[in-house]
Amino acid sequence: MVTIQLFGMTKMLAGNQGTLSLSLHDGKRVKDLVSVIDAAYPKIGELLQKKKVLVSVNQEIAHEELEVNDGDEIALLPPFAGGNHRSTR
Amino acid sequence: MSLEQVTKADQPATDDEAMLVRVQREDFSIDEELKRVRRRSKRIGGIAMFLGTARDRSKGKDVDGITFEHYEGMAQKKLREIRERAIKDFGVIEVLVLHRYGELTIGENIVLIIAAAEHRAEAFRACQWAIDELKQITPIWKLERTPEGEVWVEEHP
Repeated sequence: MVTIQLFGMTKMLAGNQGTLSLSLHDGKRVKDLVSVIDAAYPKIGELLQKKKVLVSVNQEIAHEELEVNDGDEIALLPPFAGGNHRSTR
Repeated sequence: MSLEQVTKADQPATDDEAMLVRVQREDFSIDEELKRVRRRSKRIGGIAMFLGTARDRSKGKDVDGITFEHYEGMAQKKLREIRERAIKDFGVIEVLVLHRYGELTIGENIVLIIAAAEHRAEAFRACQWAIDELKQITPIWKLERTPEGEVWVEEHP
């Protein structure tokens, strides 16, 4: 079971929950986590697929191949207030 | 223990170093923050400052107020990285980075960057870079309250 912190619009899209608790069955990489979220919360899943929402592991933006371990601090990061995750400006 | 070590250990707990990067709910005093930076070195000869405030319009719409949410821990970590990189890459003497969170009314202070250098050119460059970088890499989110409802900024690109 992994716990994922939610912020901004992702919190709203998850029904105003501050965290999600999910079980990872098929693989422990960030991309597997994204698949599990996509199945449970398709709207968040879509934003993750489009890279509008990024996954952070231990307070750093994580690559989709990164393995998630027990005790890791995981969060979903929607676009920051000042810009769009370096993709603009 | 040398005299130097004793002196260092005896410094007050509110050490300026930790106060130079903050994410806080309460407002800040620009005078106090400027003093804090100026205390750091007598070599400072030029100080550039950026103050971001809450405006009442966004993308052509009226805004009644703004709420900032931050990722506790990661936000502070990114702001510390910005301070350290600004000092290292721009040759400035000191950089202060503050950001507020919570509910703000129009006109309130949001963010403060102070860059202090020997000369103005480095101070201006470091200050501009720091605020641009803050907006790109710091996990802080903005909820605008408008007459039509609340909108997370960037929610509707």
